[in-house]
Order: sequence, then structure tokens, then C-alpha cells
Amino acid sequence: MDDWQYKPAGDLGMKPVEGLRSLRREVGLFGTITQAAWRTAVRLYLRGYHRLTIVGREHLPQKPPFVMIGNHSSHLDALILAAALPWRLRQAAFPIAAGDVFFETPTATLFATMMLNALPMWRKRCGSHAMQELRERLIGEPAIYILFPEGTRSRDGQMGRFKPGIGMIVAGSEVPIVPCHLAGAHGAFPPGSSLPRPVRLSLRIGAPLVFSGLGNDRTGWQQIAAQLEAAVLDLCNAAP
Amino acid sequence: MPSLHPVSFWILAGLAAALGLTPLIFLALDKRLSPALRSDLWTRYKSWLVLVPLMTVPLVLGRLPAIIAVALLGTVCYREFARATGLFRYRLVSGLVALGGLFITFAIADHWYGFFVALPSLTVTAIIVFALFADQPKGYIQRVALGVLAFLLFGVSLGHFSYFANDRLGPPLQLAIVLCVEMNDIFAYCTGKLFGRRKLAPNTSPNKTIGGALGALVLTTALFATLAHFIFRGTVLDQPVHLLTLGVLLSLTGQWGDLVMSSIKRDLGLKDMGTTIPGHGGMLDRFDSLIFVGPALFHYIGYFLGVGLDQPMRVFSGH
Repeated sequence: MDDWQYKPAGDLGMKPVEGLRSLRREVGLFGTITQAAWRTAVRLYLRGYHRLTIVGREHLPQKPPFVMIGNHSSHLDALILAAALPWRLRQAAFPIAAGDVFFETPTATLFATMMLNALPMWRKRCGSHAMQELRERLIGEPAIYILFPEGTRSRDGQMGRFKPGIGMIVAGSEVPIVPCHLAGAHGAFPPGSSLPRPVRLSLRIGAPLVFSGLGNDRTGWQQIAAQLEAAVLDLCNAAP
Repeated sequence: MPSLHPVSFWILAGLAAALGLTPLIFLALDKRLSPALRSDLWTRYKSWLVLVPLMTVPLVLGRLPAIIAVALLGTVCYREFARATGLFRYRLVSGLVALGGLFITFAIADHWYGFFVALPSLTVTAIIVFALFADQPKGYIQRVALGVLAFLLFGVSLGHFSYFANDRLGPPLQLAIVLCVEMNDIFAYCTGKLFGRRKLAPNTSPNKTIGGALGALVLTTALFATLAHFIFRGTVLDQPVHLLTLGVLLSLTGQWGDLVMSSIKRDLGLKDMGTTIPGHGGMLDRFDSLIFVGPALFHYIGYFLGVGLDQPMRVFSGH
């Protein structure tokens, strides 16, 4: 017989906004409801306005932990990747979002947490400590991360080089990484535009990769970034 | 807005005077206080400046504002409890506790006593049964027990306090209860500092003393009995034995509520339940003493006098 286990919320005892910005943040009943409402609205919007088609859903693992990665050219990208997940998995999904965009002001923070369920990545000062915290939560919870290894939205629609940070989160673990390729998002909502255009979107999901054999060091991280970049490019070239 | 009962007026005026005079006392003592203590006192004072109007004004604004304010208090307390115990991760149980609280609030606002007393058993049954459907027996007893405990504390017990809003004497009674419950804490602290030697429950709450508990019992009973005399004037409860009993019940249940929350915090290994109120910790740390006062006074008053019997019943659901 086990003793009772009390596990307080990860952000218990933090000040309100500080708690929302924390990588240990956990939402309760209220956040669950607002996030579910947001996801339903986004799903309807993507289906209706952008005629989103998804190919390769069968490649998604049945349960967390796993990481979805893709090419990044618009603010729609994380919403689209999240919409590909079945309902039962969506509560475990955290888009990793730029702290300097989505967590700068309290209002933005509230939106990023209560609607998107995003976790912040502070691009200018993301130390190895933050990456380690992300890694622990991914495996320990277990969670699903949605992230874009280019680190920023492409300004011309061409995919940029993948940064090795993703490697720090998954190297040497059994966590599968699902490569995805998104077409149409740059035409629909490129950086700098204010309203999305009704451009068709298509998402192609590839077979997951596991990097348990690679070391959690600089060489390993760079190898992971290169392999993932190649996998996403393959998906891009495979598109009809 | 209903006309203000004299007791309500005196309590509000007294609180306003106290809040107005406190800064003057701080300024007079300024030189003798250490900087840390000074800033702590000011933080606490500023919190009181927000809390006192929030917890008193809705009580005199009318039946529905009072009921909604207590429901919001219960929601904040439940949120802190759920996040501290981890219960919030079990969305189904947590949702049922919230739903039960919503129904309790409706039953009170509707002034439908039958539904109000039916809800504890219905909600507890729903929590126990629906938690089965997750088909995860590991941790089942803990999830269900935490859900039931939370619902009984923040839904049912606080609901009894809220139900007084349906009585003609509701506003002065609720104000007097809130005032005396908070004074009970302060009396215990002050008399404990003066006369407290033996610890009351060293493992649960190391700072509480028997002297403090007895001092609070005497002073709070006197205060509440006096206020109750003016509230219940001309009724069967306006006799010394009833007034003193009401005061003793309030002081004891208030102190027990405090000890219950200390015990929960000790078990969880936490100092405070939250950070809602600067200087005080969580809402639950401040209002823990109010939780058990409701049922005790409600049923005592209900037995001898009845609660809200001359007021319209089933306001929304009736036909």
C-alpha cells in the first residue's frame, strides 16, 4: 500500500504573473475550460477559413511524452500543429513560445497561458538551466511540446537552419520527435501582416525519430538538429 | 438597497474608523519600529484596506451581492486548496466540486432549503461514483476523499454562512460574524502574547497558546454576545444564556477552523496556502476561521428562531 502523495502545483507560492511565466506553471479548472474553448474555436477557424488538410496523423505517438517540430513561418504554425493532436492528448500539449513576444506584458502572458498553454523560451537569455527544466518536465509529467527549431519565423518563407537547442531537450532520451512540414502558412499570415488571408494550409506529419543513442553534448545536439532539419526537408520534397 | 440595520452601521463605522486611525498609530510608532517590521505592517495594512471593503460592503448591499461574494470567497479558497493538495490535476473530481459549489450557491440564492440540504449527499455521491469512470484505481481514495473534504469545507460549510443572507437579520449578523471571527484571531494573538505560556497544540501550530485560546474565548464571546443582543432584540434569542452560547460557539468554531487549516498545511509541508493577499498569504490563510462558524450558528439560530422563514422562498425555481 502506498502513502498518499500530495503534489502541489508546480508554481505554488509564486506571485501571480511570475507563476504564469514559470516553466513549472500548471493551469487548473478555469484554464482547462478557456483552453478547450480556444482550441475548439481555432479548429473551426482552420478547417473553415484555411481548409486545413492533415496527412500522416498515424505517425503521432499514442501517448506523451513526444515533441512535434516543424518549419516556422507564421504565428498560425503552433496552432496548426496543436490542432493535429487528438482531443485526449491536447491537454498535455505545450507550445514553446518566444518569451519576448508572448510573455512580455501581463496581458500577453495571460493569453499565452490561459488560451495557448504556452511555455516561454527567452531567446536572449535562455540558459542551459531553462533547457534542463523543459527536459525534466517533458519526461516527468509526461508532456507534449510543440516547437520550432529555427528559433524564429522565416521572413521569406524559406526554411532556415535548425538550432541545436532542441537537442538539449531530447538527446539521449527515449522521447520521440515528430517532424512536420507546413505548407501555405507563409502565404496566409507572414510576419508583419496584420490579418490572415484565406489561403489553403496543408500539414504533413512524418515518422517519429528517437535520439536515445546520441550523447547529451554539443556534438549530439548538432547531429539531432541536422537530422531533424533533413527530415522536415524530406517531408517538404515529398509533398505533391 | 435595503435600509442599514443600526448594528451594520456601527460595525461599518467602527471598521472605517479603525482603518482610518491605523496609519496615525503607525506614524506615531514610526521611530520605534525596525524597518522590516514597518514594511511588513504597511503591507498587511494595505491588504486590509482592500479586504475589509470587499468582505463587508457586499454583505450590506443586499441578498444576492452577499451570496455572490461568499461564493467567490469559497471559489478562491477551493482553488488554493486544490492547487496545494494537487487535487486540481484530477479535472473530473475538481469539476464536480466546482459544480456542487455552483448548485449550493443557486440553492441559497433561490432560498430553497430542501435543495440546499440535499446537495451534500448528492454531490458526495456524484464525486465517489463518477470518479470510477476514469478507471484508474490507483489513488482513487485520495482523489475522492480530497474532493469530498473540499466540497464540505468550501461548499457546504461556507454555504451555511452564506445562507444567513436569506434572513431579515442577515446583513448585521453576517457582518458581526466576520468581524468577531477576525477579532477572535487578533484577541488570541494579543492575549497569547500577554498571558500565553503553555502551548495549545505544539505539533499543529507552534505559536498558539492555551492563554491565547482562553483569552480569545472570553473577549470574543463578550463582543459577539453584545452585538447579538442588539441584532436579536425582541426575539427568543435575546437572553443571556443564548447570547453567551452563540459567542462561545463562534469563538470555538473560529479557533477550530484556524487549527484545521494549520493541520492541513503541516501535513502538506506548506507555510501558506497561496499568495493571494500580500502580507497574509492565501485567502484561505485569512478566512480559515470562518469555515465552521456558519454551520454551528446556523443550526443553533435555526433551532430556536429559524433562518429566513418569513422571507420569500424558491425565488427563481418556484411557480
